[in-house]
Amino acid sequence: MAAKVWVVGAGKGGVGKTFFTSSLGITLSKLGFRVLLIDFDLAGANIHTSLGMPLNENNLSLYLEGKTNLNKLAQGTKIPRLSYIQGVWNEWMAHDLLKKDCKQLIEDARRLNYDFVLIDLGPGASSCHIDMFRNADEKILVTTPEPTSIEKTYRFIEALMCHELRESSTKEAYDFLLKNMKRYRSAEKTEHFSFRKYLSSHPGFSFDYFESFKQTPVRLAINCSRSRQDQDLGFSIKSVCTKYYDFPVDFIGSIDFDNAVWQSIRNREPVLIEKPFTPLAGQYLTIAKMLSTPTEVLTNLYRTAV
Amino acid sequence: METGSQFSYYEILEISPHCPQHEITTAYERMRQTYSGGNPAIYTMFTEAEARELLKLVEEAYSVLGNKTLRALYDEKVGQVGKKFDLSFEALQTESKVVFNESPKKVTSAKVEYKVDADFEKELKEIASWDGAQLKKVREYKKFSLEKISEITKVSSYYINAIENVDPTNLPAPVFVRGYVSQISKVLGLDEKKVCDSYMKIFKEKLGQK
Repeated sequence: MAAKVWVVGAGKGGVGKTFFTSSLGITLSKLGFRVLLIDFDLAGANIHTSLGMPLNENNLSLYLEGKTNLNKLAQGTKIPRLSYIQGVWNEWMAHDLLKKDCKQLIEDARRLNYDFVLIDLGPGASSCHIDMFRNADEKILVTTPEPTSIEKTYRFIEALMCHELRESSTKEAYDFLLKNMKRYRSAEKTEHFSFRKYLSSHPGFSFDYFESFKQTPVRLAINCSRSRQDQDLGFSIKSVCTKYYDFPVDFIGSIDFDNAVWQSIRNREPVLIEKPFTPLAGQYLTIAKMLSTPTEVLTNLYRTAV
Repeated sequence: METGSQFSYYEILEISPHCPQHEITTAYERMRQTYSGGNPAIYTMFTEAEARELLKLVEEAYSVLGNKTLRALYDEKVGQVGKKFDLSFEALQTESKVVFNESPKKVTSAKVEYKVDADFEKELKEIASWDGAQLKKVREYKKFSLEKISEITKVSSYYINAIENVDPTNLPAPVFVRGYVSQISKVLGLDEKKVCDSYMKIFKEKLGQK
């Protein structure tokens, strides 16, 4: 069976993508799945730090240069069933990534002999990140409750939409979109409060993509939540996306702020291994169980419950 | 809001039309929190004025969906394709009062017109021992139908008929019958105690005969 590829991204740096990815990977491996983490953060690769593994030459740059395949790069960790591919740390010139490469990476990852492959992206909505997002099986956005991070999350979603609309719409329609996006932003939104409704008055757009997202929405996780308000923010963002873009986002849960996290990173010991019975571990467990259970099973569970 | 408008109340609250009542309240609380001032989630997306507009919509939606009766009415109206209805809270509330009229049924005036017969009135005062036939006579004299008297006294017309025929087999225990007779005589404007005492004597005799 093909491995499921999950991509973790964020609009802003430092919101805890890497920590989220590694923790989710650890939790999945505890649940009995074979998991591979790929550190695709070309600017600041440090999954190895959060797992407490030493650096070595056997990293993703070899794959990007076409010298080897992913399977040979995968290294075991101290945690059973969990492997990882080190990010590029020993190159000082940024890789010129082509769209083709990003798509290829996802396809190669799918062919690997794992249950789940988690890819940790760098911050921001570069076209490469967007492309990986579009091709992944599960798309996870991480944000913190700060306005800066939330704003960038919205920009990420906008970029994702524009990207797709460019592919699926006529050139003329896309020009119309670009021209009107700014106007829409500053316009008083009264009658139509959804961006999609605004666009649909113009011919040439195809919304198949939006429709497909109804089934597999972008998942939103709130990291470093410190209060009840922070947790509810997930629902608020979901609602704003629905009202503003008519774009389905699913809130999968919030992760509490915990001082043990940075302390454990200092000790280079994953916090979920060091302190496995904390609320933090419970929150990851809920998310991992929810995402790893096939939709049919969840639907059936729901039906029996109702 | 009217039928056929752009967004249904369910869409405004972002819930499924089949969701249970408590989920509506949860959704409403989340919406209110989202669109009332200072929430970081609306920052750069909606201006304050827009958020206020949205909040108004949310409040309107919840004023209808939050009430089970109004929600049922709303669902019914939305389901009828091709017709136009006013779906605002006020309209639905007014309608709900019409459809589900819960105020108690008004008793039509107890006063019934009848011709005063001086001789008969005099005769009535002299009766010492009341039986069913006499009660019936008075009732007919005062122009009360069986249904009418049953409506006023809340005693079923079947019992009243049985009382007038002094038929214990179709009546409950004497203590109840006494109550019924007391009610009937009150409506007929007779001396309750006198009527009851004499009627119950006859009634008990008949009961003993059986």
